[in-house]
Amino acid sequence: MYRWDFSPVIANGDLLLAGLANTLALTGVALAGGIPVGLGLALARLSGSRFLSAPAGVVIEVFRATPPLVQLFWFYFGLPIVLKVEMTPYLAAALTFTIQSGAFFAEIFRAGIVSVDRGQREAARAIGMTEAQAMRRIVLPQAVKRMFPAMMERSIELMKTTTLVATVSYADLLYQANELAQKTFRPLEVFTAAALMYLVSISLVSAIAALVERRMAMSGEMAR
Amino acid sequence: MTYRWDFAPILDNWQALAFGAIGTVRLFLVCLVLGLSLGLLVALMRRSRHGVLRWLAIGFIELFRNTPVLVQILWFYFALPMLAPVEISPFGAAILGISLNSAAYSAEIYRAGIQSIEPGQWEAARAIGMTGLQVLRRIVLPQALRRVLPALTNRGIEIFKMTTLASVVAYVELLQQGKLVASLNFNPLEVYTVIGALFFLLLYPLVRATYALERRLARSDA
Repeated sequence: MYRWDFSPVIANGDLLLAGLANTLALTGVALAGGIPVGLGLALARLSGSRFLSAPAGVVIEVFRATPPLVQLFWFYFGLPIVLKVEMTPYLAAALTFTIQSGAFFAEIFRAGIVSVDRGQREAARAIGMTEAQAMRRIVLPQAVKRMFPAMMERSIELMKTTTLVATVSYADLLYQANELAQKTFRPLEVFTAAALMYLVSISLVSAIAALVERRMAMSGEMAR
Repeated sequence: MTYRWDFAPILDNWQALAFGAIGTVRLFLVCLVLGLSLGLLVALMRRSRHGVLRWLAIGFIELFRNTPVLVQILWFYFALPMLAPVEISPFGAAILGISLNSAAYSAEIYRAGIQSIEPGQWEAARAIGMTGLQVLRRIVLPQALRRVLPALTNRGIEIFKMTTLASVVAYVELLQQGKLVASLNFNPLEVYTVIGALFFLLLYPLVRATYALERRLARSDA
C-alpha cells in the first residue's frame, strides 16, 4: 500500500503558487487580447465588405480547426525563422492564445450580434445614428449580456488550455509541478496537488460566473 | 532578406509523418468510442434515482471538466503507477486522460438532450407498458441523440485536436513525429506549417458538416 506524503509538496508550496500566478497572468493577458481580437474579427466577418470578411473568416476557421498545441509550436519554433525575432515562451504563448481565443470569441460575438433584432439597428439608423453608433450604443450592450455565459465558458476553456505552455518551458502551474515531481520523486502527490489547485480555481471561477448569470436572469436582461 | 521555404525534407520524411498520422487516428478512434459511450453511461448515472450513483456521476463530471486535460494525462502517466503496480504506456495514459475527459463533457451533452424530451413522452410510454429501459431505448434516446448530434460532432473535433497532447508523454502521433522531423532537419517552420495544414484538411470538412447538421436541425425543429 502506497503511503501518501504531502510534506514535500507543502514545503515547496511557494513554487506551485508562483506557477499558479503565472497561469493566471497568462490567462489574463490572453483574455485582454483575445476579447478585442474576437470583437474585431466578428465585426470584420459581419461587415458587408468581402475584403474584410474573407480574411477574418480564414483566421477564425483555421484557428478553430487546428490543435492549439500545433499553433503554439508554430509560433514558438516556426515564426522566429520568418520574422527573425527572438521568441520567448511567454510571448509565443500570449500570441497563440490571444489569436486562438480571439477566433472562438469572434463566433460568440457574431452569434450575440446576430441575435439582436434587425429592427433595432434600423430604428437606430432612422433616428440618425451612424452604423458605428448603433453598434456601440444599441446592439453591443444587449449582445454582450446574452453572450455572457458562452464568454465565461470560453474563458475557463482558455485557462485550461494555458497548460500547454508547459511544453515550451514557461513556468506555469503544470510546468512547476512537473519540475517539482522530478525533484522530490513524489509525482503522485505533486500532480494531485496541482490538479486540486486547478480544480479549486476553475470551480471558483465557474461558481462566480453562475452567480452573475443568475443575477442577470433575475433582472430580466437575459430574457429570450 | 526573405526566408526561402523548402518543403523537400518533409517529402523525404513522409513515411515518418504517415506513421504519426496512423498513431493520431488510432488514438482518436479509441478515445472517440470510449469517451462517447462512457459519457452516455455517466449521463444515465447522473439521472439515476440512487443517490450514490448520482453523486458519483456528478463528482466525476465536475472533476474532469474542471481540470485541464493535459494535467489528467500527466497524472495518469506519472502519478497513477505510484498507486497501482501497473506499467502505464504513453498510449494508455493518453487514452485514459482523453477518454475520461471526453466522457465528462459528453455526459453533459447527453443529459441536455435527454432533458429536452418532454416528460409526457416518458409517461405515455410507461402507460402503454414499457419498462424504463425500453422507454429510454425506443422513445427518448433516438430523439435526444438526434438533437445533440451537432454537439457530439463538435466533441469529436475537440477529441481529434486533443490527441496532439499525447505527444507530451512521447506517444507516437503526428505532432510527435513532426517534432522529430523538425529536429533532424532544422526546419520547424515548414514542418509545423504542414502539420497544421494536415489537421485543418482533416478537421475542416467535419466542421462544415457540423454547421450543416445544425442548420438542418434548426429547420426541422422550427
